[in-house]
Amino acid sequence: MALFLVLPLAMMVYVSFWTQTTFAISSDLTLKSWKTFFASDTYFGALTRTLKIWLIVLAVTFALGYPAALFIGRYVKDKTTQTILLVACVIPFWTSFLIRVLAWRPMLGKEGAINIVLQKFGLIEQPIEVLLFTELSVIVGMVQIYVVFMVGPIAFMLARIDDSLIEAARDLGASSYTIFRRIIFPLSLPGVVVGAIFVSVMVLGEFATAAALSGRKVNLLGNIIVTQVGSLKWAFAAVVGVILTLVMALVITALLRLVNLRKEL
Amino acid sequence: MMQIEQLSKSYGSSTALSDISIEVRDDEYVTLLGPSGSGKSTLLRIIAGLEKPDSGRVLLNGTDITSQPAHLRGLGIVQQSYALFPHLSVYDNIAFGLRFRKNSPVTDENLVKNAVTEIMNLVGLGGLENRSVGAISGGQKQRVSLARTLVTEPKICLLDEPLGALDANLRSSMTTELRRIRDSLGVAFLHVTGNETEALSMGDRTIVLDAGHAISFAKPDTLFDFPDTVRAAKILNAYNIFHGTASDKSFQFGDLKLPLPFETPNISFYAVRYDEFNIVSSSSPDALMHVNYLTQEFTGSSVTYFVEANQQIIEVVSHISTSDPIQYTLGEKLGLRWSSNRVLLYDANGALINQGKQNNEK
Repeated sequence: MALFLVLPLAMMVYVSFWTQTTFAISSDLTLKSWKTFFASDTYFGALTRTLKIWLIVLAVTFALGYPAALFIGRYVKDKTTQTILLVACVIPFWTSFLIRVLAWRPMLGKEGAINIVLQKFGLIEQPIEVLLFTELSVIVGMVQIYVVFMVGPIAFMLARIDDSLIEAARDLGASSYTIFRRIIFPLSLPGVVVGAIFVSVMVLGEFATAAALSGRKVNLLGNIIVTQVGSLKWAFAAVVGVILTLVMALVITALLRLVNLRKEL
Repeated sequence: MMQIEQLSKSYGSSTALSDISIEVRDDEYVTLLGPSGSGKSTLLRIIAGLEKPDSGRVLLNGTDITSQPAHLRGLGIVQQSYALFPHLSVYDNIAFGLRFRKNSPVTDENLVKNAVTEIMNLVGLGGLENRSVGAISGGQKQRVSLARTLVTEPKICLLDEPLGALDANLRSSMTTELRRIRDSLGVAFLHVTGNETEALSMGDRTIVLDAGHAISFAKPDTLFDFPDTVRAAKILNAYNIFHGTASDKSFQFGDLKLPLPFETPNISFYAVRYDEFNIVSSSSPDALMHVNYLTQEFTGSSVTYFVEANQQIIEVVSHISTSDPIQYTLGEKLGLRWSSNRVLLYDANGALINQGKQNNEK
């Protein structure tokens, strides 16, 4: 672990303080790359945009994923059907990631499926242009790809709740809503946290969806690393890498604070 | 008072309950004895509203509650698995019903605290308020489950094999505890169990359930001394039951003739309590039946001898206070002696024939 995790991480921090010139890089220590990052709107804006899109995607995957998990984990009583439904959730993974992302273009585009259908039904006169190559399309793409990582862990926790607990709560006089709020939801929280960690780690480091669905207009931290590495700006890429790692560490710590996973699982 | 009228329930083609009618009076401890699969848990779940009957009614103080949802019935069920909420402390588990019930929840935390503290002391859980339910023993979990139900002051407390998961020591101490708790609260208890000792020692009245039918209703001592059907005698696990026919003043069991207390033609079953038998030597003139010795089991206060006649295993219980245990060898020929006045006779339908006579003798 020291060799493959700690050493590369330490190296990244070290490189972020190297001196970068147009064509070369030297190991003289400097703060220049760090100053550039925080001084530039392009780069600092990418940080805030990454955080914003992460929060929205997290909220939407939770809002869509929880009811789906509730259906699979609690309303479907048959274990076989439960397994089939969960497997159905991962069927999209049989196609490549990029194809799934790019498939959104003919859906959301100016002459895409959604606009054509809406126009045919006469609901709109002009095609809606904000559907594609905007933050919205990036969010739609990410939600579709990552929602299953929210559904899985939550459905797993929900399916583990013993029916006798629900019966006991009902017998003690609690209504269905109270049972959900006081028993089912608290007991599924570890699943929510695990799902949120999956989604967060993947969304924060994401660059492909943003590149493919924003027409390169929406730059996330991941995109910046890709371009900087592409132009051999190692020191600057290392700065962004360090910042991204710190953000992820903070997010995971905060999520783990919510619930004691070791006790609950 | 709760009345159950002609309740029936089946799952697919198997009948769980068939035409059950019973009554539980206020302030009464009723035990419901039945072997596993007799439908006793189903009956309890229907009363609690966790399952719907196919037909029949449940009346509580005259009101039909058959179609009322479980959370509005005001009955309490204590499940065999305890079903404690794992994410809540002992205190919060017990307070759950008071705080979150739909009908008149208690919003004043001081009142909740008083009620919870009082019930915790009653069931002997004082000082465990802040423990997690994962960090207490089986007996304590059982008490938490009971307290959680009792604190809501249910009209009737339904107990589904409450002592089933406890070890023998705890079980016997909880037996006394349950009676004490019930007496101090004055709530009717309906206690379901598969253990005949538990059913007899705890109930003011015992109902025997067999294959979905309620077959006996009696005070425990009457039930034990004179089970009114042969099925009940079997479930009580205290009677040797011989199947045969009456022939000239005796009961024909295989090639053996057993003495009858009086002449009666329609006998199918001849039952002798385990402790009514005495073992004598096979040559003794007192021997009424000849048997082969199999094995014995020492239980502390008594010895159970297993002997065999006509391929039927016969149990003989001998209390240590009346005779010392004797070692026999496998296959040894022995004789059995018993008083023919103490036998129970059942007709082909399994109904007790000689109850009247027995009662007169008493």
